[in-house]
Amino acid sequence: MKLSQHAARSLRIVVVNPVVNEGDAPDAALAAQFQRGNALRIGLLESGFDIVASLPADIFLPERIAQLQPDLIIIDAESDARDVLEHIVIATRDERRPIVMFTDDDSTPSMDAAMAAGVSAYIVAGLQPERIKPVLNVALARFRQEQKLLAELSDTRHKLAERKIVERAKGVLMAHHKLSEEQAYQKLRSMAMNKNLKLAEIAQRILDVEDLLG
Amino acid sequence: MALAGYRPEKETVRVGFMPLTDCASLVMASVLGLDEKHGIKIVLRKEASWSAVRDKLTGGELDAAHVLYGLVYGVHMGVGAQQRAMAVLMNLSQNGQAITLSRQLAARGALDGASLAALLRSEPRRYTFGQTFPTGNHAMLLYYWLAAAGIDPLRDVQAVTVPPPQMVANLRAGHLDGFCAGEPWGHRALIDGVGVTAATSQQVWPDHPGKVLGASADFVAHHPNTCRALVAALLEAGRWIDESDANKQAMTEVIASPAYVNTGREVIGPRILGQYENGLGKRWQDPHSLRFHADGAVNFPYLSDGMWFLTQHRRWGLLKDDPDYLAVAAAVNQVRLYREAAEMTGTRVPGNLMRRSTLIDGTVWDGSDAQAYAASFAIGAR
Repeated sequence: MKLSQHAARSLRIVVVNPVVNEGDAPDAALAAQFQRGNALRIGLLESGFDIVASLPADIFLPERIAQLQPDLIIIDAESDARDVLEHIVIATRDERRPIVMFTDDDSTPSMDAAMAAGVSAYIVAGLQPERIKPVLNVALARFRQEQKLLAELSDTRHKLAERKIVERAKGVLMAHHKLSEEQAYQKLRSMAMNKNLKLAEIAQRILDVEDLLG
Repeated sequence: MALAGYRPEKETVRVGFMPLTDCASLVMASVLGLDEKHGIKIVLRKEASWSAVRDKLTGGELDAAHVLYGLVYGVHMGVGAQQRAMAVLMNLSQNGQAITLSRQLAARGALDGASLAALLRSEPRRYTFGQTFPTGNHAMLLYYWLAAAGIDPLRDVQAVTVPPPQMVANLRAGHLDGFCAGEPWGHRALIDGVGVTAATSQQVWPDHPGKVLGASADFVAHHPNTCRALVAALLEAGRWIDESDANKQAMTEVIASPAYVNTGREVIGPRILGQYENGLGKRWQDPHSLRFHADGAVNFPYLSDGMWFLTQHRRWGLLKDDPDYLAVAAAVNQVRLYREAAEMTGTRVPGNLMRRSTLIDGTVWDGSDAQAYAASFAIGAR
């Protein structure tokens, strides 16, 4: 159980680790990935981040990620399993999730390039805790900003759709009962209150009946 | 030696590739010094994932790459990753990929599309098939083959992206029932005794487009001379490979090394020479095996090839709306630059921007009426 209440500690992280294929000769690149992965996990834990799972990059990765629903997925830039995550990105593209990479290359142009390429953040290896936190925070901030904008957009669209429904229902009432616009609106309101429904809901019902009988 | 007016803007060209047999023309262009002949120096960078190739192309860490045709169009249309204007400089190869089914499935009678469909009906369970990238060539060919057999790749089976090096192990363990990938993986599954070849990619579409020489549109715009030199070098490398079996064998030796495909000669050699076996005793000499040049027929960036990937992306719901198929292909495929490089190397250029092909289900694709073609399939996302 975590002792501190820092906001960063509620961030649920999944770290993806390399898989050694049976029968493969030892590989310098893979060994380097394992080393970077270990350093990262230690650094994250020391910074108080919540590593929900440390998963192998095997065929069950998509399923496990779907079950865990992490806020952040961290994977080595040189991992061959990045393509597996690509599949997840496309399959879940209506639910954005930042994918964060980490690597040995700490040159700023690479970081800028990665950010520009759509990677949410880019972590440098040799990971001292002080270096991890700010970068993860940037990733999370951008993710949350994006989620907020998407939610606002969805909300706006929804409200607009509801407005249209109410307008059309008013039109139906005005036509059928020879009411003025204000009278029709009041009628809708009282119907809604009587049936304990939202304005848009009662409006939709009126339109449905109109479709059936009109 | 480059002509004065065509001096490359950038002499050192960083080109990415994946360790697959069809990276051969790129490797040989470097090994044979064909790059230096045209005033550039290719620096090859082996990558571990298509995602890495994509990010490095768009981010500028790589100038160009051996890359999946479908991936380039996917990035250009913003499917999954951030949208970026991309360029196809040339087609690198045709044919030579394969659809492999597990021995367990073969033992139950699934040896091709029709028998697989029958097995799915008689023994329903979750069947899982692997591809190499969600928008890539292998995914599109696999889905096409499944659908041609009456199997819905989105609803009747589970399609997953698996790194090629893991495909054979997963087949052995029973986590995958089949996969579509490039060589050496198809033949490797046979040699390891875990898979059988249900179909070659050329069976699905004879002389289908393969990997391309891809780059960001930005890089091509700022380095046209460098790109032209690169295409010229690759045309000559492809020509050299296709020239003779002796050249193909020499090429096999080179690309088998750990720096490139990192596999045994016996794993890639036979299929490079067109010698196929399916793991069930059938052997044949394939008339449409992997080829890199074929007197220019392979390399032209036909608009209809690019458009085909767009139609299949649309078919499977990766694109939510119909794009302007022709306009997109005309923007991505660098036909003019290719023609100039072809002229420099005495490569024949076809008269048409489109070519006509008949695929495994009997459907003809010739680049006309792309929107109707995309919507014409009985099995699709809609």
